[in-house]
Amino acid sequence: MNRMIPPTQARKRYSQQLKLERWRVWFVIAGLLGLFAILLGRGLWLQVFNEEFLQGQGEARYARTLRLEANRGMITDRNGEPLAISTPVQSIWASPRSIALLPAGQTRPDDWEPESDKDPVPLSQDEVAKLARALGMPAADVVKKLGDPRRTNKGEVIKDKEGKPSRPDFVWLRRQMNPQDAKNVLALNIPGVYAQAEYRRYYPAGEIMAQIIGYTNIDGHGQEGLELARDKLLSGQTGSRTVIRDRRGYIVEDISTIVPPKDGETLALSIDRRIQYLAYRELNKAVSDFDAAGGSIVVLDARTGEILALANSPSYNPNSRAPIDPSKKRNRAITDLYEPGSTLKPLTIAAAMQAGTINAKTTFNTSPGALSMGGFTIKDTHNYGVLTPEGILVHSSNIGALKVALTMPRETQWNMLNAVGIGQRPGLGFPGESSGKLRPFKTWYPIEQGTMGYGYGLSVSLMQMAKAYQIFATDGIEHPVSLIKQPAPMPGKQVISPELAQTIRGYLEKVTQPGGTATRAQVVGYRVAGKTGTARKQSGGNYADKKYVGSFVGLAPVSNPRLIVAVMIDEPDIKKSIYGGAVAAPVFSSVVAGTLRLLGIPPDAPTNNILLPSPQDTKEDEAWVP
Amino acid sequence: MKAIFYRALKRIRPSMAAYDQALLWCVILLLTIGLVMVYSASIAMAEVDKDTGFRSTYFLIRHSIFLVVGVVAAFFSFSISTRTLQQYAPLLFILGVLLLILVLVPGIGREVNGSRRWLGLVVINLQPSELMKLAAAFYAADYTVRKAAFMGGDFWASITKGLLPMLFVMLIVGGLLLLEPDFGAFAVITAITMGLLFLGGFNWRLFAGLIVLLGIGFVGLIASSPYRRARVLGFLDPWQDPYGKGYQLSHSLIAFGRGEWHGVGLGASVEKLSYLPEAHTDFLMAIIAEEFGFLGVAVVVGLFAFLVFRCFMIGVQAAKLDRAYQALVAQGIGIWIGVQSVINIGVNMGLLPTKGLTLPLLSFGGSGIVANLLALGVVMRIDYENRQLMRGRKV
Repeated sequence: MNRMIPPTQARKRYSQQLKLERWRVWFVIAGLLGLFAILLGRGLWLQVFNEEFLQGQGEARYARTLRLEANRGMITDRNGEPLAISTPVQSIWASPRSIALLPAGQTRPDDWEPESDKDPVPLSQDEVAKLARALGMPAADVVKKLGDPRRTNKGEVIKDKEGKPSRPDFVWLRRQMNPQDAKNVLALNIPGVYAQAEYRRYYPAGEIMAQIIGYTNIDGHGQEGLELARDKLLSGQTGSRTVIRDRRGYIVEDISTIVPPKDGETLALSIDRRIQYLAYRELNKAVSDFDAAGGSIVVLDARTGEILALANSPSYNPNSRAPIDPSKKRNRAITDLYEPGSTLKPLTIAAAMQAGTINAKTTFNTSPGALSMGGFTIKDTHNYGVLTPEGILVHSSNIGALKVALTMPRETQWNMLNAVGIGQRPGLGFPGESSGKLRPFKTWYPIEQGTMGYGYGLSVSLMQMAKAYQIFATDGIEHPVSLIKQPAPMPGKQVISPELAQTIRGYLEKVTQPGGTATRAQVVGYRVAGKTGTARKQSGGNYADKKYVGSFVGLAPVSNPRLIVAVMIDEPDIKKSIYGGAVAAPVFSSVVAGTLRLLGIPPDAPTNNILLPSPQDTKEDEAWVP
Repeated sequence: MKAIFYRALKRIRPSMAAYDQALLWCVILLLTIGLVMVYSASIAMAEVDKDTGFRSTYFLIRHSIFLVVGVVAAFFSFSISTRTLQQYAPLLFILGVLLLILVLVPGIGREVNGSRRWLGLVVINLQPSELMKLAAAFYAADYTVRKAAFMGGDFWASITKGLLPMLFVMLIVGGLLLLEPDFGAFAVITAITMGLLFLGGFNWRLFAGLIVLLGIGFVGLIASSPYRRARVLGFLDPWQDPYGKGYQLSHSLIAFGRGEWHGVGLGASVEKLSYLPEAHTDFLMAIIAEEFGFLGVAVVVGLFAFLVFRCFMIGVQAAKLDRAYQALVAQGIGIWIGVQSVINIGVNMGLLPTKGLTLPLLSFGGSGIVANLLALGVVMRIDYENRQLMRGRKV
């Protein structure tokens, strides 16, 4: 056999015959080296020319942009006292898709291993019970949350490709736990259960400031009040961090510079928490004393137009997540409109005196206490006879105010109301801020011009009334009002002359003295001035029976006014009292007394100046009945 | 005068070494790169795998053991005379065929990922197709030398007596390999045998016609099996289905793209973090490309090109010394290393369909690296014998 030939012999035989041609070797070498060259070319293309696309694809697969939450800014009062703060909390969430609940009695084997990434981890009932205990929830709730399939908006169960109910990747187990409790939950080491750091908003002032501050929802977005109006400023800017993660989710490296989160700014309000507390307490007391439907109070710094206190009743606790009655959420002092009634009379007098159509000595005959005009009868409580402008205010004569109004052109009266901000939004930037209703003067009939003279036929918010009274407190200057602390007073505009302002202030002081309608507004040690109002409420275009708004707008101290306080009590119980002088003036008195003391303002009437009239002498202004 | 000149020249130029130092260093360099990169590519995967016992050095240790075994094997093959090898070439080939049959027997052959390629021995898994490549080089060289008379002669004689017997043998071997299936080994073995026929002086016109026929056959094979067709379709456009069929390739390409010129640095690959499957075996080149960039790719490709070139040059030297068998064996091994590395790198770069071929000398894989080193030991032996003959000694 051929194969058995000894090697030496074989070599000789073959090699004599086989001639290896050199060109074939070079041909094959050239071919192989050519292939290597192609590889190099391809490598160059992939790595140097197409790398952008490939790296993009890579990043799409393992780069993740993580959100870095910004801390929501704090809201403080004018002295830096916190009114809304964010505290770190932990929210526990689970991925139901990666968990399979075992029937009772079964446990996960110690050596259990997933066969693929998507295999759910079996979870024994025992573990679920432990988890529920740590979460402080009934075990049944936890089981339900972990077991519920995904649903469409209509509540239908979403099914996966195999027709089995699809399970969600994410479900909150419990939001906003305190960090220690959350740590205990995580310490159980239950697969598929994770924690997310969040911030919880806390309102130390609670219901006292509820309508001003508002609140955020559980995700930290402003829902009401300033939390909503200044959401952008408070929430800051979330930062981001782009990282590469390995397939198991661990962060390997940062691939771009970290954009740090920009924390929200601190919002310092003009509110003084102490005054706010006082105002809310006194208002709440009055509302409950008179069984009123509600009430509001505004305290303005007369020199700057800043709002020192703004309280509403009834209120709610913004720290509670329980559903809130929408009527409690309203910032009534800013959003709710009412007919100001007699509190508007000083503006009518001021307009006429400024225009020169009347002076301090002009007299008006209000006899016999009733006046028919354009089919309406306007009445006063008593027959006051002949009254000067001062008398009209002191006695709150409707007929007098109507006559004063009719001395001037419609435009003059409108200009005054417009100049003090009636019919315009106060510009607080607050959601739902009302502009009130002041019709263009060209549409006014004479009877309307007259009724507007004593505060009917137009509507205002309590904030607008407080703002309007600035001209009497500041020698005629009107400042823009503000809820935010101002580094310096905003420029105001001169509306009436200082002399006229002082004159009217004098009249208004008389209102609080015996013979006036607001003796209960007096404060020990200080001279105060103001005007009561009692207005019948409109409902559905008609004046409602037995529904009144009692209000008082005043200022103090008269010698050098620092405060403007407007109080409104909505629908006081008719059996108790409806008059502004009875329901609202006492609130004014206690708030002014407390506030002046808090601010350390020296008394301008150091001797005991309280002069109370005898009960039968008490004057009440009349609610107008059409 | 002349004598003085030669003596002086001898001082400047040391005498020729007994073996090819450049080839040896080239192989050592490739093995070292392979060891480092196998560790780098496997470390993250080994650390989290239950099968490795969560030991990060699992693959490093195994690869080192294989290297030691491979080096011992290389010394062994270096120590065997090429005449002996030639004598046993047909026997070795028959042994290889037997192992290929054995691997298909259920219970003996181990099935991994749908392919029966491994013989489960007590200590290591043997991959018969790797040894078959070496046996094929020996056998084809021997065959070509034996059939020298029919290589370039009469047309019909070269078909019937030169080509057909080889074709018959290849049909058996190829059929066995495709039954596993191991398409990559089939391609390499076909390249070795066809290449040696060509180098042996086979009628080149006939050969060109044969290549065309084979090309048609390949296309037919690919089209006939859904498994192979799917693999082919995946490589044409991996971005069509990057999370399904194109998953592995798209990640391999991303690794290349991330490498740029200099690479992300040793150990800094992201693709090896469980994204790219088989990073330490078939797709080791992608990790090299990611960590060392185009520079690393160029070095590895350059080393392979040099290795292949040396093999061919040793073959040319042997041919000059009238040692046709040795010449063909060296060149056959050159074709093997060359074709397999081109296919592997081409697969990594998305130029060729995914085959399941390792990168010679570098990839993790016991049988492969041992077979490579066995073969290179033979090449070193041929070179050694060449040098001995040139010095007028006997071998």
